[in-house]
Amino acid sequence: MTGLVQFFAIPFGLGMIVIGAGLGIGKLAAAAADGIARQPAAASQITGAVNLPLFLLEGVAILAEVFALLVLFLGK
Amino acid sequence: MFVQEAAQHGAAAAEGHAEKFDAGATIIHHVANSPMDEPLIHLPKIAGIDFSVTKHVFMLWLVAAAVFVVVTWTVRRYLRQERLIPSGLMNALEAVVEFVRDDIAQPNVGKKWVFTWTPLILTFFFFILAANAIGLIPVFDVIGLLDHYVLHTGDGSFVKRLLHGGTTATANFNVTAALATITFGAIIVAGSRAHGFVKHWMNMVPPGLNPLIYVILIPIEIMGMFVRPFALTMRLAANMTGGHIAILAILSFVFLFTEMFGRAVAGIGVGLAVSVPLAVGISALEILVVLIQAYVFTLLSAVFIGMAIHVHH
Repeated sequence: MTGLVQFFAIPFGLGMIVIGAGLGIGKLAAAAADGIARQPAAASQITGAVNLPLFLLEGVAILAEVFALLVLFLGK
Repeated sequence: MFVQEAAQHGAAAAEGHAEKFDAGATIIHHVANSPMDEPLIHLPKIAGIDFSVTKHVFMLWLVAAAVFVVVTWTVRRYLRQERLIPSGLMNALEAVVEFVRDDIAQPNVGKKWVFTWTPLILTFFFFILAANAIGLIPVFDVIGLLDHYVLHTGDGSFVKRLLHGGTTATANFNVTAALATITFGAIIVAGSRAHGFVKHWMNMVPPGLNPLIYVILIPIEIMGMFVRPFALTMRLAANMTGGHIAILAILSFVFLFTEMFGRAVAGIGVGLAVSVPLAVGISALEILVVLIQAYVFTLLSAVFIGMAIHVHH
């Protein structure tokens, strides 16, 4: 059981977290690049608007990773 | 210190001794706080809490003292001079202060409260930036080399104890939790000062909804109140730990390969071809992360404080 968690469940979960966070950050970056290409004058405003959800998204991903690693280390 | 110790492991492996190089334990030893049974300064237990000074506490004081001395010295020197044109360090300091005030504090907390909350946000920024950055500078590894070749202090000396554990105080969850607790308090104080103590708590949910919705909404909002500082804690600490672990893991390839092939040439080859270039790349990334995480912590603190002041549903 521990082996299953250690070698399958947690790496799988970490991969899922990375996929989710990557998709989210990718969407944000794509939209920001699109917006800046259309309106280069608003670049700083767009960057400002993108930053906050980006950091919140990153926070969720890091929380998930920390919990996955906690399960790994404390579950022994 | 890492290199020295691992080199001993590698040499032992090359000579055919059975002692294996444990990458995980070595990495944790270089990232975690110094062990509780050998702190830097022993202090008595008060009410069940061990007040001994460990490496991270020591780094915390060092960073706080360094930031305090450098900033006050620079500003006082500027105030003493005849012409009011900043020069040298004061220029850099002014640029950072202006950036934090105009780009972090003001857009979030608003014009009315900007001078109330900029000092707190600036303190966060300078402290976190200094604490993060000092983790990238191998001060203690230099001290370790000096000790090994010049000083030759005994086992258990202050210098030897100084070499245990990581140097980044902000990589410790307890440190970032304390910082986030200050943010947590600041959110409540900000809301109370702007709207009054009772109104601040009333503001957490939008008024005039169906009573049944409040049954769900109030627990969610209370959870959110605690999740925000918790996310701040985890983000800063995990980011600071993660980069260091990545660098150490890549460097430990050298010793793993030495052990695998039983000769030092294999390890040195892997080191030159893979480990060192990758570690340099990640170190460059770390410089960015150090700046970004200091910015993120302060920005999110400002955003949360601003959310308590400007309530809109």
